[in-house]
Amino acid sequence: MIQLQNDFQGTNEYVASKELLTAVNVAITLQKPLLIKGEPGTGKTMLAEAVAKSLGKKLLVWNIKSTTKAQEGLYMYDTIQRLYDGQFGEEGVDDIAKYIKLGKLGEAFDSEEQVILLIDEIDKADLEFPNDLLWELDQMEFYIHETKRTVKAKHRPIVVITSNAEKELPDAFLRRCIFHYIDFPDAPLMEEIVRTHFPDVEENVLKNAFDVFYDIRAMKDIRKKPSTSELIDWINVLQISGIPVEKIKKELPFIGVVVKKDEDLETVKQRMAQNY
Amino acid sequence: MFTKFFYDLRESGLKVTMSEFLTLQEALDKGLCNSSLTDFYYLARMILVKSETEFDKFDMVFESNFKGVVMEPEVGANMLKWLDKPEMNELLAETEKQWLNKVEDLKIDKDDVEEKFKQRLKDQDSEHNGGSHWIGTMGKTSFGNTGGNIGGVRVGGNTGYQSAFAVIGAKKYRDFRDDRVMDNRQFMQALRKLRQFSTKLDIPKTELDINGTIDKTCNNGGMLQIVMEKPRKNAIKLLLLMDSGGTMIPYTKLINELFQAVYKSNHYKDVKAYYFHNCIYSKLYNTPECENGDWIDTEWMFRNLDSDYKVIIVGDAAMAPEELYSDTGNYRGPNGGLPGWEWLKLVKSHYKKVVWMNPKMAPGHAPWREAETAIKGLIPMYHLTVGGLNEAMTKLMVNK
Repeated sequence: MIQLQNDFQGTNEYVASKELLTAVNVAITLQKPLLIKGEPGTGKTMLAEAVAKSLGKKLLVWNIKSTTKAQEGLYMYDTIQRLYDGQFGEEGVDDIAKYIKLGKLGEAFDSEEQVILLIDEIDKADLEFPNDLLWELDQMEFYIHETKRTVKAKHRPIVVITSNAEKELPDAFLRRCIFHYIDFPDAPLMEEIVRTHFPDVEENVLKNAFDVFYDIRAMKDIRKKPSTSELIDWINVLQISGIPVEKIKKELPFIGVVVKKDEDLETVKQRMAQNY
Repeated sequence: MFTKFFYDLRESGLKVTMSEFLTLQEALDKGLCNSSLTDFYYLARMILVKSETEFDKFDMVFESNFKGVVMEPEVGANMLKWLDKPEMNELLAETEKQWLNKVEDLKIDKDDVEEKFKQRLKDQDSEHNGGSHWIGTMGKTSFGNTGGNIGGVRVGGNTGYQSAFAVIGAKKYRDFRDDRVMDNRQFMQALRKLRQFSTKLDIPKTELDINGTIDKTCNNGGMLQIVMEKPRKNAIKLLLLMDSGGTMIPYTKLINELFQAVYKSNHYKDVKAYYFHNCIYSKLYNTPECENGDWIDTEWMFRNLDSDYKVIIVGDAAMAPEELYSDTGNYRGPNGGLPGWEWLKLVKSHYKKVVWMNPKMAPGHAPWREAETAIKGLIPMYHLTVGGLNEAMTKLMVNK
């Protein structure tokens, strides 16, 4: 690969597969948004933090909720505040700009230096949401009607978008993105990830916890499959509590950290009693 | 330039566009693929494919373009032509009826039939009618159509008595979505019952509450005070699972009407539709054609569509007992380690409200339809008529 000005190589805390590293660097080079999909808990959000840290840039996070509108990311015009201010004859009511507040996307464009913009969980929003941002993400500019001002990106931000695949995203939007699906890590990669979090974890604890974890994931009728972040929490608790290694499989201590639903707890306990 | 690769991808059904292809060229131009085939593979995939469910299709095209791997033999056009003999149908109707009576006594090993079918597909090179070995019409072997053998593999032809295990090569599935003019008002009326207005939804207060505003403003001594409220929205989420199997072909029009009615009643919070073939297994298809590869994991559906979705399963529940009870009963795709019965139980236990609409449900007790009777015991089943739909909708709305 040619030497890139911005080259992301992962960080001490974030272990990324080679394909993911390539995807990040391709997105940066081609100046296109990087769309990251994957099971919950596979580190989609953490990726943006890691990229920001590794490149030494500021990270702006735009958390999307089901109520979020595309406009909020650009700017908001607080008309009601202005109306109230007008009634009481406050000063500066005639200055519309005072009532215009830039959203996260607006902030990223307006920033004096290049930033990383994370649009987190874009699929939470309305179906039309991504379409409403097409022009802005393509051209990296938008127009504020009220003040007749165009906000244009001074430095094109590096855009990372995550999705849990709750809703299908529109084709027109997808066409403009670089896509990467974070696979659930296989055992060796998982071990590497856990070790970056706990460098001196005991070999036996790790092995037993892994066995239980992958057994649970293999169960068909489990409602919510445990993910990487849950495994990491569990290993952390196991270490702190100092439970004897041989009890891990037999008694499943603190299994509530891994399995979050009541029905699943029942299933897991039954199966594990059969297995071990 | 890889122009052929581009067209092959489009041929395979991937919606790759010119602009994406140009992006790939730009990436190659900038040296991002490092002159390595593996890097090129990932580079092309991340730019051209935007859903993990389509990786499989991409892989196949990539393989055939860059490695020239030989694929499994398929049912050729010629073979379908040899088998297209509608005039023999009438002649055979009588004989077939006699055979049909014996269906229940016969025990046929499906794996064996499939294995032989593949073998013979490889060997056969001409048209055969009335023989006892090759794939043809009017014959006695397990393969072909209008034959006397029950429980074989049907190759082309019309679905008559639903005894073939597999309807291979039949390009007969109609897309239910095709817009057809028809009167489905009655269905829509029934679907109206599915309503649950709620202002508790997590949506912004976007409507001006005029009464509230007047009250507040008066209380405020005439100084304007605006009150906003949430619009009332239907909170119902609907999940349609539709059988698109061979035995459902006669009901295409009826299903079409139902589908249209659901999509026209656009007042639901969300509507999702997936297809299955005869029974639900580990995969659900995105289109009625049920093509392997164009599917989602049933487990993915459990994870992503929560238990609040009201589920309407549409199917005739007509299947061989082994398709329901054997963990290798799915002859078209993967079973996922569980028999169809267990998958149905998972659907039933995951979703709070599930109903089954059956276009040809037997009235009353019908023990000879083993699968249907069993499923009826698990999931409330209704006849797919306006009346039945009304009952089913009521069932979906009541608590417990």
